[in-house]
Amino acid sequence: MNVPTEHLLVLSAFLFGLGILGFLLRRNVIIVLASIELMLNSANLVLLAGSRHWAGVEGTGFLEGPILVLFVILVAAAEAAIGLALIIALFRLKQSVILGSSQSYEVAADSTSPSVPPPSPTRP
Amino acid sequence: MAEVLFYLLAAGAVVFGVGVVAARMPIFSVLNLLGTFFCVAGVYLLTGFQFLAVTQLLVYAGAIMVLFLFVIMLLNLHDESLGGTLMSLTSLPPRTLALASATAGVFVLTLIFASGVGPPPGSAVLAAARIDEGLDQLVPLAEVLFTRYALPFEAASLLLLATMVGVIMLAKRDRPRAKGDTSASWPWTPAVDDGAEPVQQAETAPALEPGRSRKTHEGTAARPPADKPGERAGSVQ
Repeated sequence: MNVPTEHLLVLSAFLFGLGILGFLLRRNVIIVLASIELMLNSANLVLLAGSRHWAGVEGTGFLEGPILVLFVILVAAAEAAIGLALIIALFRLKQSVILGSSQSYEVAADSTSPSVPPPSPTRP
Repeated sequence: MAEVLFYLLAAGAVVFGVGVVAARMPIFSVLNLLGTFFCVAGVYLLTGFQFLAVTQLLVYAGAIMVLFLFVIMLLNLHDESLGGTLMSLTSLPPRTLALASATAGVFVLTLIFASGVGPPPGSAVLAAARIDEGLDQLVPLAEVLFTRYALPFEAASLLLLATMVGVIMLAKRDRPRAKGDTSASWPWTPAVDDGAEPVQQAETAPALEPGRSRKTHEGTAARPPADKPGERAGSVQ
């Protein structure tokens, strides 16, 4: 395949931009986490594009790209697991996965004083 | 042929990425993310990374996506949590706006930089041969991974272990135990008094009942209407 490296980089830049947009603009925590995964994917794409770019040079370690991508995938898996567990804990605390809503602030302010949060107020 | 396929996959990845950001409901966002993963895996395959394409499908489309879908199904989201609530640009704090501007700058810089990368250095014949036989063949990859990068590899195993413990601690329901409450919350004891699908119920029960209204003395008044009658099943977690 003779696609130039530039086009891989452009695709990666678009994916990263979309991820940043979702990360900054969306208020649903699940979508924010999905946007982070999107950004990690675009970073992987850059690494692989670089590795392929340098594959024709004798003696270069073009294997570093795939290895780094392996580690990124591993860390992404760990991050997704932790993030989703946090989302479950957040939902259990506030009954909502919406960031920055006044409702969640209110409940958070309620539950700051005791170490163990009190039973949440009746919420429809 | 492969080039056409690449551009198709790239366009698909971007379209699915737009879907991730723009979807109203998180479930559609995550399904769009699945499409992006498939397209990116196809791009990996076309660029000569067969092993990483398979890994991408296994780990991202298999494991992470199942985790996402599982959590979305687990959280009994109310209607207002399902809406596509979008932050408006004007209501963002200035620090976030500055960050967004910086990111947009990085994006434009990347595009400018990408247009000047130029042809790959080195011999095109060697590059073509290596790409044809796969840039991430398992034997060379493993040789490097287990010699020069053995320490990060072991650190990664430690990271996974810490993640496992951390996730269990985060997702575990830590409810205050009443005095004299000797009922075992762990190890697991099966639920008896809700009829259908006891195991499934026990898995989903902690998120289905948001209030900590169980087994303590608050009673059941604070329960939201979305609560299922499988009250007993939640106590096994």
